Amino acid sequence: MSDRDNELERQFELRSKQLFDQRTAALDAATRSRLTRARYRALEELAPAARRGWRWSLVPAGAAAATALVAWLVVSQTPPTADTGLQVAQLTDLEILLSEEDIEMLDEELDFYGWLEEQPEFAGADDSVG
Amino acid sequence: MRLALSIAEDETGLEREEALDSSAAIEAFLREVETRAYRIVLLHIRDRDEAFDVVQDAMIRLVRRYAQRPSAEWRPLFYRILQNRIRDVQRRRIVRARVLSFFGGVASEDEGDPLVAAPAPPSDGPLEQVTAGDAMAALEQALLLLPARQREAFTLRNFEGLDVGQTATAMNCTAGSVKTHYSRAVHRLRDLLKDHGEEHWNE
Repeated sequence: MSDRDNELERQFELRSKQLFDQRTAALDAATRSRLTRARYRALEELAPAARRGWRWSLVPAGAAAATALVAWLVVSQTPPTADTGLQVAQLTDLEILLSEEDIEMLDEELDFYGWLEEQPEFAGADDSVG
Repeated sequence: MRLALSIAEDETGLEREEALDSSAAIEAFLREVETRAYRIVLLHIRDRDEAFDVVQDAMIRLVRRYAQRPSAEWRPLFYRILQNRIRDVQRRRIVRARVLSFFGGVASEDEGDPLVAAPAPPSDGPLEQVTAGDAMAALEQALLLLPARQREAFTLRNFEGLDVGQTATAMNCTAGSVKTHYSRAVHRLRDLLKDHGEEHWNE
């Protein structure tokens, strides 16, 4: 293809694009309004994603509820026993799970819980399991 | 626990901000592309109501399926959806024409090509007519004489300004095919418009 042909082809492409852009820019108001409504309709599809963000705020409450449910199931599924030490231990676990205390507090008072575990009441509970 | 909740709240806030940013970005993209997309669809299917339906459907599908994808991917994906919907409309017309023909409709040599039989879009008003004039009308008529794939390549590359790779994604073909279709389209259009006085059209 000669340079002249190349130049004509390039001019043709530019002119085509220019005509199309002119035609698009001259779109009437009613058509533009209809396209705007179509866009808003499409953007409604994003609403579920926005609501998903709102739902994430419920995760901590949901986690607490799930923990409580699991704890309740653990306690309720255990066969009844006369050993009150075990029951006390389970209830203590449940209280810890449901407590509003900071997790950091458990680290700080780890020694206390170590000592608590060595007490006869809890040792008896451990022996009765299994 | 308070620290954990605080982090969770921060993350929730960030997610909300990201969702808002994404929402604003995709709205800006749709606003920027919608008029040209409508014009391109109208060129292919020649019916205003159907063109609106196609554009709206493409917008909805893009938002629903690809809003979370990188914004650089939206344009070729949007036009790919658009081209698929255009083909759907054209296929439905062909089937409808065949059914009508089977039940005694009037046969003609153009019945296999729904674009030939489709009504021209109503005028957009005197301002638009004066602005675009006969040159654009001649170009539109010439485009209708091209094979569908050449027309797709030309409208996407020239009118919408997609590069070869984006056009290939939109047309679901290779970059080489895009180049071939586009080159043939340009040559054919120039030939056709010569017959319609390209020397005047091109000025």
